[in-house]
Amino acid sequence: MKASPETPMAREGSLLAVRELSVSFRSERGQVRALDHVSFEVEEGETLAIVGESGSGKSVTALSILRLLDDAGQIDNGSIEFEGRDLLHLDEPSLRHIRGDRIAMIFQEPMSSLNPVLTIGKQVAEPIRLHRKLPWSIALEQAAELLDRVSIPESRHRLKDYPHQFSGGMRQRVMIAMALACRPKLIIADEPTTALDVTVQAQILALLKRLTKELNSALILISHDLGVVARYADRVAVMYGGRIVEIAAAAALYKNPQHPYTEGLLASQPSLHSTPGERLQAISGQPPDMANLPPGCAFAPRCHYARAECRASRPPLEPVAPGHERACFGFE
Amino acid sequence: MKEPVSDLSKDNDILVQVEDLKVHFPIAEGVFRRTVGWVPVVDGVSFVLRRGETFSLVGESGCGKSTTAYAMLRMQPVTSGRILFQGEDITHYSPSRMRPLRRRMQMVYQDPFGSLNPRMKVGSIIGEPLRVHKLFTDKAKYKERIGELMRLVGLLPEMADRYPHEFSGGQRQRIAIARALAPDPDLIICDEAVSALDVSIQAQVLNLLMDLQEQLNLTYFFIAHDLSVVRHFSHRVAVMYLGRMVEIGPGNELFSNPRHPYTQALLNAVPTPHPEVESHFSHEVIAGEVPSLRNPPKGCRFHPRCPVAKPECSHVRPEWAEEGGTTVACHLYGER
Repeated sequence: MKASPETPMAREGSLLAVRELSVSFRSERGQVRALDHVSFEVEEGETLAIVGESGSGKSVTALSILRLLDDAGQIDNGSIEFEGRDLLHLDEPSLRHIRGDRIAMIFQEPMSSLNPVLTIGKQVAEPIRLHRKLPWSIALEQAAELLDRVSIPESRHRLKDYPHQFSGGMRQRVMIAMALACRPKLIIADEPTTALDVTVQAQILALLKRLTKELNSALILISHDLGVVARYADRVAVMYGGRIVEIAAAAALYKNPQHPYTEGLLASQPSLHSTPGERLQAISGQPPDMANLPPGCAFAPRCHYARAECRASRPPLEPVAPGHERACFGFE
Repeated sequence: MKEPVSDLSKDNDILVQVEDLKVHFPIAEGVFRRTVGWVPVVDGVSFVLRRGETFSLVGESGCGKSTTAYAMLRMQPVTSGRILFQGEDITHYSPSRMRPLRRRMQMVYQDPFGSLNPRMKVGSIIGEPLRVHKLFTDKAKYKERIGELMRLVGLLPEMADRYPHEFSGGQRQRIAIARALAPDPDLIICDEAVSALDVSIQAQVLNLLMDLQEQLNLTYFFIAHDLSVVRHFSHRVAVMYLGRMVEIGPGNELFSNPRHPYTQALLNAVPTPHPEVESHFSHEVIAGEVPSLRNPPKGCRFHPRCPVAKPECSHVRPEWAEEGGTTVACHLYGER
């Protein structure tokens, strides 16, 4: 199911609605704002990609949804509504019912997210036993079926193996099996294939896409790779300096980017269709220092369209076309 | 198993020639770490680097790309084969005989955070090769050269007294490039030199490398896994799989018309930033993973994953065949 582009704002009954979310971190240089009034929605069954460079706030967004920020992080403002409940107002036990059951997470590094001293079977069966209150024997049976679904050969035999006995790609398949164990409504995948080789990356993403479709689960795919996003996302949100600067259906965003940063990002990347040897259209300057953001648009210092007002105040995220929003005072 | 290039000895443009290079790693087991076997990490690789060109090696992790580069620089013991640098056989040179040549081959690494000493000032980092190889006559000349190098890579000479942590990832990679350029090398090996950089910064560094190549007639040996970057950046490309090259040719030809089934699979796996192209993507991705080198497949090493494998592929190693613009090691081609 794709997002309905006709009603960009105030969609009724979105699966997830993040509104005006602000997050900051304590650091040596004082309080650093990592997310600044971020708002977006995720519809049932859709794939929303969040793209941005390191430090843009994409991972913080993902961690905030499940309230998994570390002690230095703090949610200053906003709401995160999931299936009609504000996750920011839930107590820890209620949150634990949601994590792994209604919302599951897949991390970048499968080796560090799996427990090295527990068998794969135990780890995949754990969420089923916990959330469905089933005995181990049945949970393990279901774990084997899940490993089948993510195409791990000899699944029953491999339940007894430990993470180090699996390759990187196989470990990420295990992570997907764990994420799918309770048929969640939403899966958040933070750079799920960045550590993998390209042919394995393609296998894992195709698998993730197929299984989320079968379960009608929504997927938030966090990535820095514009190619991956183009292949797998229905809608795309582009982040820069802790804010969403553009959000639109994938095809519209790539074909007709409405924010200078998105435009620059697409132009700066060599593709399999660019002219070899030609100089790339790099975005000049450096990424913003989050502890020292300019008062206006965070991209203004690197933007060749920037005017006085861009440096003075921050442009709000506003619709420019049905289903297409951007945070920019306009450029020609 | 040589790259079929005719009569190399008369070609003055050839900077490096590698012939049938093999690097086998010992498998040590037991309390006494006895060698119980060998892993053929690089298993008969041949290629040439021509002056002023960018030659890229692509393939998945563990295919032997980096080991090939390190062996070529004699930073890795060579099991067999020959390495010629400007026609001079350096395969068995002693460290002291290698030293004057080291100046001419420099390296830029992937991690701009790990490859610069955090306790050294940037000027001193860039000047290190000058000091090691004693390439300056007096202090003023030394300072002048460092300033010149910093300007060359787009840094301000005033920054020479700062420490690496004061720079962003892209700027640090510029520092690493300036250090590589310091002894005026002929060859620069870039081992995933732009992989850790953000997209917008990656373009800046690639442009810089292309400009420097033009200005200084540098030869690049480029190791990367991002095929879009490789295609854009390289004159010639070689594809490696499990320690062997499977296809080699001009970047343009290899990418627009890949011959080897593995090259095809690799290209099909790379998503491009074009949803209209990607909507036609079949999602038919190549199955399986790269097998272990401890027990490499016989014949063509790709045959267990190859969708068009023939019976002979599982026991006969394919010969090189010219096919269109590229040279390919596959039983589908040649022998006609």
